[in-house]
Amino acid sequence: MSMEFSCDRKTRRMERLAFVRTYAAWVKKTPNAEWSREQAVLINSLMENARNMPLSRQVYLERVAGRRRPRRQRER
Amino acid sequence: MDIQYSDRQIVVSEKVLTDLDRFVMDFTRILEKSTPYVIVSGYVAILFGRSRGTEDIDILIPPLEQDTFVHLYRDLIAGGFEFLNAEHDHGLYDMLVRGMGVRIAQHTQFIPNIELKLLKDDLDRHVLENRIAVTIPDASLFISPVDIQIAYKLYLGSDKDIEDAVYLWEIFKDDLDSTRMKKWMKEFDISGDEYGIFM
Repeated sequence: MSMEFSCDRKTRRMERLAFVRTYAAWVKKTPNAEWSREQAVLINSLMENARNMPLSRQVYLERVAGRRRPRRQRER
Repeated sequence: MDIQYSDRQIVVSEKVLTDLDRFVMDFTRILEKSTPYVIVSGYVAILFGRSRGTEDIDILIPPLEQDTFVHLYRDLIAGGFEFLNAEHDHGLYDMLVRGMGVRIAQHTQFIPNIELKLLKDDLDRHVLENRIAVTIPDASLFISPVDIQIAYKLYLGSDKDIEDAVYLWEIFKDDLDSTRMKKWMKEFDISGDEYGIFM
C-alpha cells in the first residue's frame, strides 16, 4: 500500500468518525420521536432498495459466505 | 434522546419503529417462546439511532435440544419466515451444532435476515447471562451489554465496527460504568484512545 493511499484512508476514516460524533450529538439532544422519524425514513428506504435487489438467494448466500472476515477475528 | 438506562434495562420511549425494528420484533416474539436470546451485531447501534442499514442481525441462543429446534423451526415457518440455507429442520440443526449460523428471512426475501448461532464460549455465555432488555414501543428486545459491544467492535476493527463503537460510546458514555468498561477493554487488549473512547 502506498503512503499516499494510507494517508488518504486515514483521513477518510477520521472524517467519517467526525460525522458519527456530530450525528450522535444531534441524536442526544433531539427528542426520540424526531430523530427516530428521520432514521426510519432512511432505513425504510434502504430496506426497500434491498427488497428490489436483483440477486437470487443462492448468489446472496455465496456472497456472504465469501465476504472477507473482520480484520481482527476473535479466536474462538 | 430520552433514555432511561440501568444495568438490566434501557427504555427508549416514543421511538418511531423502522421496518428493520419490526422485522426483528416479529422474529424475536417467536424465538423467545422457545429459547432466551441476545442480539449482538451492528443492529445494537442502529436500534439507538445510528444512521446506517444492515443486511443481517446476529442473534445468539444457548444450545438447545433437537426437538426444541424443530418446534422453533415450525413456529417460524408458520409465522411467515423461511430459512435461507437449503436444508430442512434436521440439517439446519446439524449446522447450528457444528458452529455454523443459519439465516432466516421473511418469506420470499433474503434481506434483511437473522443469522442465528449457538453460544460458543464463555464470552458468549456472559453476554447472554447479562443481556439488557431494551424497551421500545410495542416490544422489548434483548441486547448485549453496551460496554462489551463497544469493546468488541473496537476489537473487530473494520471501519464500520469502529464507527459503531464510537457511536455507542457517544450515546452512552455518561451512563457506562468506567470500571467495567476498562475491564472489557483490557479483556480484548484494545485501547479506544485513538478514537476518543477513554474512561
